Amino acid sequence: MLLLASYVFYGMWNPPLIILLWISTMVDWTTGNKLAVEENQRKRKMWLLLSMFVNLGFLSFFKYGDFFLANFTAIVNSVGIDFHPQEMGIILPMGISFYTFQTMSYTIDMYYKKIKPAKTFLDFALYVTFFPQLVAGPIVRAKDLITQFYEPKKATIKQFLWGLFLLTLGLFQKVVLADTLLSGTADDVFGSGKVLNFWDAWSGTLAFSGQIFFDFAGYSTCAIGIALTLGIILPDNFRYPYASLGFSDLWDRWHISLSSWLRDYLYIPLGGNRHGITRMYVALMLTMLLGGLWHGAAWTFIVWGGLHGFYLILEKLQKQYIPFKITAWNGMFLAFTTFTCVNITWVFFRAREFKTAWEMIKSMLFLNTDGEKILEQFDIIKVMTVIAVLFICHWIMRNTSVKEVAEKTPAWVLGVSWAVMIIIMSIAQGNSEQFIYFQF
Amino acid sequence: MNLKNSFLIAISLSFLGLASWEYYWRSQGFYPTLDDNKDLWAVQRAKVDKASKDDVVLLGSSRVLFDIQLDEWEKETGTRPVQLASAGTTPLPAFRDIVENTDYSGTIIVGVTTTLFFSTTFPLAPPWDRAQTRADFYHKRTYAQRLNHQLSFPLQKNLAFLVSFEEKGYADEINLKGLLKRVKIGSRIDEGIPPFHEFSDIAVDRNTKMRERTVTDTAFANTIKKVWGFYGQTSPPLDKESTMSFFLEDVKKFKARGGNLILLRCPSTGGQRIGESVVSPKLQFWDELISQANVKGYHFEDYEQLSQFNCPEWSHLSATDAAIFTTELAKIMMKDGVLTNPKTN
Repeated sequence: MLLLASYVFYGMWNPPLIILLWISTMVDWTTGNKLAVEENQRKRKMWLLLSMFVNLGFLSFFKYGDFFLANFTAIVNSVGIDFHPQEMGIILPMGISFYTFQTMSYTIDMYYKKIKPAKTFLDFALYVTFFPQLVAGPIVRAKDLITQFYEPKKATIKQFLWGLFLLTLGLFQKVVLADTLLSGTADDVFGSGKVLNFWDAWSGTLAFSGQIFFDFAGYSTCAIGIALTLGIILPDNFRYPYASLGFSDLWDRWHISLSSWLRDYLYIPLGGNRHGITRMYVALMLTMLLGGLWHGAAWTFIVWGGLHGFYLILEKLQKQYIPFKITAWNGMFLAFTTFTCVNITWVFFRAREFKTAWEMIKSMLFLNTDGEKILEQFDIIKVMTVIAVLFICHWIMRNTSVKEVAEKTPAWVLGVSWAVMIIIMSIAQGNSEQFIYFQF
Repeated sequence: MNLKNSFLIAISLSFLGLASWEYYWRSQGFYPTLDDNKDLWAVQRAKVDKASKDDVVLLGSSRVLFDIQLDEWEKETGTRPVQLASAGTTPLPAFRDIVENTDYSGTIIVGVTTTLFFSTTFPLAPPWDRAQTRADFYHKRTYAQRLNHQLSFPLQKNLAFLVSFEEKGYADEINLKGLLKRVKIGSRIDEGIPPFHEFSDIAVDRNTKMRERTVTDTAFANTIKKVWGFYGQTSPPLDKESTMSFFLEDVKKFKARGGNLILLRCPSTGGQRIGESVVSPKLQFWDELISQANVKGYHFEDYEQLSQFNCPEWSHLSATDAAIFTTELAKIMMKDGVLTNPKTN
């Protein structure tokens, strides 16, 4: 039933592309079964490579086909060869990056004999397709999800209601905080095509910073909530990342399911910290560059990943050469500094072109003194207020969780808060049709 | 954590809060209306794919939307037209979409509001972008979007606080974003467009009528006139050459497959008409367009029956006048033989 619902859910977007899901499912199901019984190491590796080839092949073609072609064209044109191919105009299947990584994790875990194969094909198909997290994660490991499908699930009343609360919270983050309060300012600033004033540039960047958090964390919260109403438990994907104390901490808190995937299936196989410092830095930088590319087929995303890699290396150097103890006071300063640096990276993530990103950075550093003003004073105040509250909330919540707080809160306070979210969400209406991460 | 109690409190308070919110906006004169959005447009656009030689499709901007009343047209001609005109847009992208992506060879009536028709062919610039977005949306809309649109109807039809306008900038937005937009602190940037109030209502088949308040409340009508004045002063110069050549290319294809194209210039009055005469004189724009397209054209000033109206806000006909205009226009077209009544012939 859940499997059928998941296919219908995906088909509501583009029915023919369900075939890709089926192929991915078939390939990894077959590979998993072969890996479960095959002892010959060479043959095991061949099965693993087959799965990688199919999954990464789909991902490369559908997500990066146009990007590779455009760069290839630019290179051959630069050496004087007149080559102008037609754009391929490939549709990007929704959520392909997410379900590809999820199925790959199953096969890789099978290869390393970390997990047992799924009991039935339907259990495995549901693992690939489970609708709450199919299109934008969390990217769930097989050991955490498939086993939950082995027996019929029915949510307890407590799970069901808590799931509804999380669904409300997630939608509130998306509809009210991301779309209503922040997205307009971010769109106006990044789409203005103008050299901007200091305040406008920072407001736009901070607005995007908040928007992408509320949008993505909102989606993850909805996914976790919907799954819980069905009695299925999904892992957390965000833990108050804007109060991170440095970049290692950030990646333990932001898009946790992706960062742990990259750590386990890319950074560690690349050598991790097992082969000396230089190799570790190379592995770190490669992981972050590929992490950037995972987000989108553009050089701006690669620069975004590169900046994060650079920050992580700087942080490791600091810990090695100028270590210091983190206290409550310097902790807040460190969190603020981390948040500020994160905002610089968001400029590259959001800007469609380097020129826009560069002008934004210059404006944010007071280098465009004659920059134009495009935002109303109220817009600036609104963004600054929302982001300040976001930062303080993350700081207060960094060592706890919504559930822990809710458990200590009187029922009537929780009920009133819940009602306020429903009412404001209904008033906000929201006509956005997509979550940002659907395109990744 | 007693979630049952919290849930009951949340549901009760939400119901009470939203009922109060609805009551408040109704007391302020708001009532449930449909949003003239891309979903509504796409439902009508789908009809063109199945339309026959006897059908009539209406393209254009808001004047065709307001001035041609579908009931009157059907009464007169026996055919209910497909209304695809879109407010504040040029008809060129929609016309190209029909020419390129359908084999429709019936009648298309294209409304020519010169300041929009001859504005631009740049795909990302207004007033082109919105029309293009609608055409693109029709081809790309997902089943989820179709279902969402159908599910939204009962809510749009019954709740006043859900009043929504796809076209940004209406001063009557009462969603959270619209309400926050009304908050002004200081004057950091120049004032943009003057407050633009919604002055029409649209039905499921996109038949549109001017709100009675526009006719009876002169101060209200003046707020709309101010908006036309703003556009008149801030719009870039017309690009007659590109728009004409773009359109003629499609006219040629449409006529070649037996399509019946009719151009229509709906009434405008007062300052709007004066402004249009200055930037797009009839002889150089309308007459030349008719001559080059070599199709039948109807300019309201060329017919006594069509030029007897006064537009309350200078640009569109009241619902009553629109009904008369439609009847008269259909009669003229039938008499000229450019339209036939499939039920009587």
